[in-house]
Amino acid sequence: MFQISDLFRGSPDGIDVKGPGILVSFDIGNVTINLTETVVISWGIILLVTLLLLWLTKDLKTNNISKRQVAAEWMVTTVYGLVEDTMGKQWRSFAPYIAALFTFSITGSLVSMLGLRSVTADFNAPLTWALVTFVFIHGTNIKTHGFGGYLKGYVDPVPVMLPINILSELSTPVSMSLRHFGNVVSGMVITSLLYFALSAATKAIGVAFLTIGVPAVLSLYFDLFSGFMQAFVFIMLTMAYISNADARNEA
Amino acid sequence: MNWNLDFLTIDVGTILFTLINTLLIFLAFKFILFKRVDAILAQRQQEVSTTYSKADDALAAANSDKEKYAEALAGAKDEAAEIITRAEKKARLEGDLIISEAKTVAADVREKAAAATEREKVQARAELQGEISDLAVELAQKIMEKEIDKADHARLIEDFLQEISAEGDKA
Repeated sequence: MFQISDLFRGSPDGIDVKGPGILVSFDIGNVTINLTETVVISWGIILLVTLLLLWLTKDLKTNNISKRQVAAEWMVTTVYGLVEDTMGKQWRSFAPYIAALFTFSITGSLVSMLGLRSVTADFNAPLTWALVTFVFIHGTNIKTHGFGGYLKGYVDPVPVMLPINILSELSTPVSMSLRHFGNVVSGMVITSLLYFALSAATKAIGVAFLTIGVPAVLSLYFDLFSGFMQAFVFIMLTMAYISNADARNEA
Repeated sequence: MNWNLDFLTIDVGTILFTLINTLLIFLAFKFILFKRVDAILAQRQQEVSTTYSKADDALAAANSDKEKYAEALAGAKDEAAEIITRAEKKARLEGDLIISEAKTVAADVREKAAAATEREKVQARAELQGEISDLAVELAQKIMEKEIDKADHARLIEDFLQEISAEGDKA
């Protein structure tokens, strides 16, 4: 007889939440370089995004423009507006990176809808972006405050704050990357659990309707909404942290 | 070998590849989307300002044309007035000339008429003189034909004078 507990007991192979698969692995010196699912799917994303951008920006005109061009111009002006509003006009040239980061993040999450493993469900992806942000934060800080001013910032307002300030700085990339990773991966885990439960229920009842409707609704939330939210949160935090480090914004 | 990475692991290879991939996607955005759209936006801005300045130029040209035409129109009015004035003056001159010519002609005619009258008068006088002499001869004949008394004499002279006067009136 079917029991509720069967739903979460696991299949013979069990619910196994794994990291990304390794396709090729090679050693350079002591370091093992793995070519994982994450990287290969990213290449696919880059290819598709590049093709999409090429298509969007095909034969641009100054008047009587196509819908494609309207979309392309909307994207550009929206990102410019967002960057200028959040970071100030002097950071305008930062817009392409923000657009790239947002696109990479959201498409990296949305590939799960094609049955692929989310790029962002690999901790290394958001970690890389958070490290880039980290470098930008400290680079900007040193650039605008000077190296002395930058170092002085760690003993501000009192020298006792030094360890706390260092911790605070280090926690930024950790929190950013773990937030993104955690959200995506939890969605992935919940979706896997639900799929498993629903297929177990289907097996028990013998009716397939459960596996059709319910996952779609959940996928809408975990993939589309959450993917969008996390990408947005990530770029907003990146912009906020970097513009905070910019002394020109202190008034 | 384990064919999956651990669920939560830091993998240097993946980080490096993701860094390169992020750079690639950034370059795609920068050099495909942003560069092209920026260029077209700048071009459109340029075209709009060119159009505006062209419109301004056209407006200025139109205004200057308008002024020129107004000027020309005023000039034309002056010219027309001048032409009319000149024509009037010319007409007056011509009229004066015609009148003076007419006067001359009239004077001429009058002169000619006077001359003709004079001539006729002279001719008449000559004729009268001829007649007077005829009458005198006749009178002399009559005197010679008969003896006449004083009264007859006076009457004869009277008649003669009346005859002369009548002849003179006839002339």
